[in-house]
Amino acid sequence: MFYLPNIVLVVVLALLGIGIYCILISRNLIKVVVGLQIAVKGAFLALVLAGKLASQIDVGQSIALTVIVADTIVAVVALALAVQIRRKFGTLDVHALMSLRR
Amino acid sequence: MTAGILLLTILLPWAGALFVWLVGNDHPRLQHSLAVGFSVAGGVAGLVLLGFASRDELVVLSIGGAFGNFTFRPDGLGVFLAAIATVIGSLAVIFSVDYMHNEAQLGRYYSLVLFFIGSMSGLVLTGNLFLMFAFWEMTALCSYALISFYNDDPKAVAGGIKALIMTQVGGIGLLIGAILSYSYLGTVEVNVLLEKAGALPSNVLGIIAFGFLVAAAAKSAQFPFQTWLPDAMEAPTPVSALIHAATMVNAGVYLLARFYPAFAGVPGWREAVMVVGMLSALLAGLMALVATDLKRVLAYSTVSQLGYMVYAVGAGGVFASQFHLFSHAIFKALLFLGAGAVIHAAGTRDMREMGGLGKQMPFVRTVFVIGALALAGIPVLNGFWSKELVLEAGLQGGATWMFGVMLFTAGLTALYTFRCVWMVFYGEAHSHSHVHDAGPAMKTALAPLAAGTLLSWLLAGNFAHLLEKTLPYHEIHALTLVEILEEVILAPATWIALGVVGLGILFWVFRDALRLWQEVFAGIGQIARQSFGFEWLNQAIVRTTMQVAEDLRNLQTGVLNWNVLAIALTLLVVVVILSLGA
Repeated sequence: MFYLPNIVLVVVLALLGIGIYCILISRNLIKVVVGLQIAVKGAFLALVLAGKLASQIDVGQSIALTVIVADTIVAVVALALAVQIRRKFGTLDVHALMSLRR
Repeated sequence: MTAGILLLTILLPWAGALFVWLVGNDHPRLQHSLAVGFSVAGGVAGLVLLGFASRDELVVLSIGGAFGNFTFRPDGLGVFLAAIATVIGSLAVIFSVDYMHNEAQLGRYYSLVLFFIGSMSGLVLTGNLFLMFAFWEMTALCSYALISFYNDDPKAVAGGIKALIMTQVGGIGLLIGAILSYSYLGTVEVNVLLEKAGALPSNVLGIIAFGFLVAAAAKSAQFPFQTWLPDAMEAPTPVSALIHAATMVNAGVYLLARFYPAFAGVPGWREAVMVVGMLSALLAGLMALVATDLKRVLAYSTVSQLGYMVYAVGAGGVFASQFHLFSHAIFKALLFLGAGAVIHAAGTRDMREMGGLGKQMPFVRTVFVIGALALAGIPVLNGFWSKELVLEAGLQGGATWMFGVMLFTAGLTALYTFRCVWMVFYGEAHSHSHVHDAGPAMKTALAPLAAGTLLSWLLAGNFAHLLEKTLPYHEIHALTLVEILEEVILAPATWIALGVVGLGILFWVFRDALRLWQEVFAGIGQIARQSFGFEWLNQAIVRTTMQVAEDLRNLQTGVLNWNVLAIALTLLVVVVILSLGA
């Protein structure tokens, strides 16, 4: 029951769940970005776990590292966009940003 | 050695495109010289390549596992079309020196033309279906950008978009064929597909065959995609001559001819090809008869002549179709460039405002009439021999009623050609302004084309030999020139066709006496002016698509949380489907 991969898997699912829940319910753009980050951290862990289970831990780790780099860029750009949106529209409420639709 | 020449045929025009672009528009003189220099060098490479035709693949670019190697193969069909593209292309570039004189943005113009010439050579020389598709799209892109060259004119922009969208529909057909070939044969090599076509399941081969037919019909502006070519005439005239008469539209016919051995056995395919060719020839011929815009008449005429080539492929006359393609490229480029000289001088494209220009432009009149006689199929000129071969192939390989329609269209061709020549160069003068004859660069481009129109048929024997020797999967029996002439002259098809052509000319000469008939056919003329309802159909499709898109837009709420939920749900659905083992 307390087999290590199972514990990691639970953590992975928890992180993914918390992250997606956070994205779904928060209306603040910064919180949405934070939720995204949490969900992606779950994905890293899943990659490492998959590498371990397939006896290819180095592959899993290197993919995880690659994704970390990409994810950092995503986070930076998203936060920069949030700053600009706040300056331009005076709000970070994602519902108020529906006006960006057209 | 041969590999080098082959690559030069593609890369010289491309290098020219780059240099002309880099020089910048501040040095128009240098741009003209560079464009002419590189295009002529490309043309020379194309001509030299003719001597090195072989059936082996010569250039193999290894690009890593996924889609096999990029191969280039200078076989008869390929080198012949590459020579046409580069030589006619260089003549169009030379013509442009006068035509585009004092034009701003020469860099964009020449770069696109040269890029197009290289892409067209690549399209016909490659032996890899995916690479062929890439080149196919490159030519479509250049065509779009050049039709819309005068991008402050809404009509030009609309024409460009129309051409791009319609040829893209064809691109989908080609891509589907390539993907199916890859998934069943594990390769996209053209020759493997030709060799192992019999091993494919018959329904798969059928989809590939009809996919390629759609691709060919769209690219060659054949029924039911014929409406884009007349609108493409908004392009500068050398572009109309180069892309929309002599090279790009030939790609469709080339595709059908190239894959004929693989698809000939597919039930209904040959008949479908012949019907497409026949309808295109007939409908476009009728539309040419009522059009009043000089370039549109030539555009309709191109659609009609391409219909002859497609019809010939369907009837099994691959050589006849390629020979007509060869003749047509020469005389239609001549006609288009001649029309360009007329338009440049007269300042209008409307034939009703021309008339009597022959006295003021004797040189242009002479070469234009030579081209027109070839188009009408008058003996000794190149158009006569190739069209007779097409008709003969049709009589042997197809239904008699289709042959009858093609024969009728031959008379129609003579009728609209004489109408066009008469309205432009003879009759009453409608324009009072002083009109000058063509400039030196225009004459330099027109003279060799006129000579080619008179003499190119002498190469028929060599051409047949070239195709027989280098095409491994086509059954072409080479005949010498004398044998071909004998065959054409002795065939009953020739004499009937000549009679019909003569009738067409007589109809024009005695048009006043036939007023009563004109009333009867006024209805058909009216429908032809509306392009037989295809324009309406196209617009209906566009309207429906836009309406559906507008309706689907409501699914996009613009609320971030909902978007994420949709993504998560879709992921879930995918996971469920995958876990069910689909």
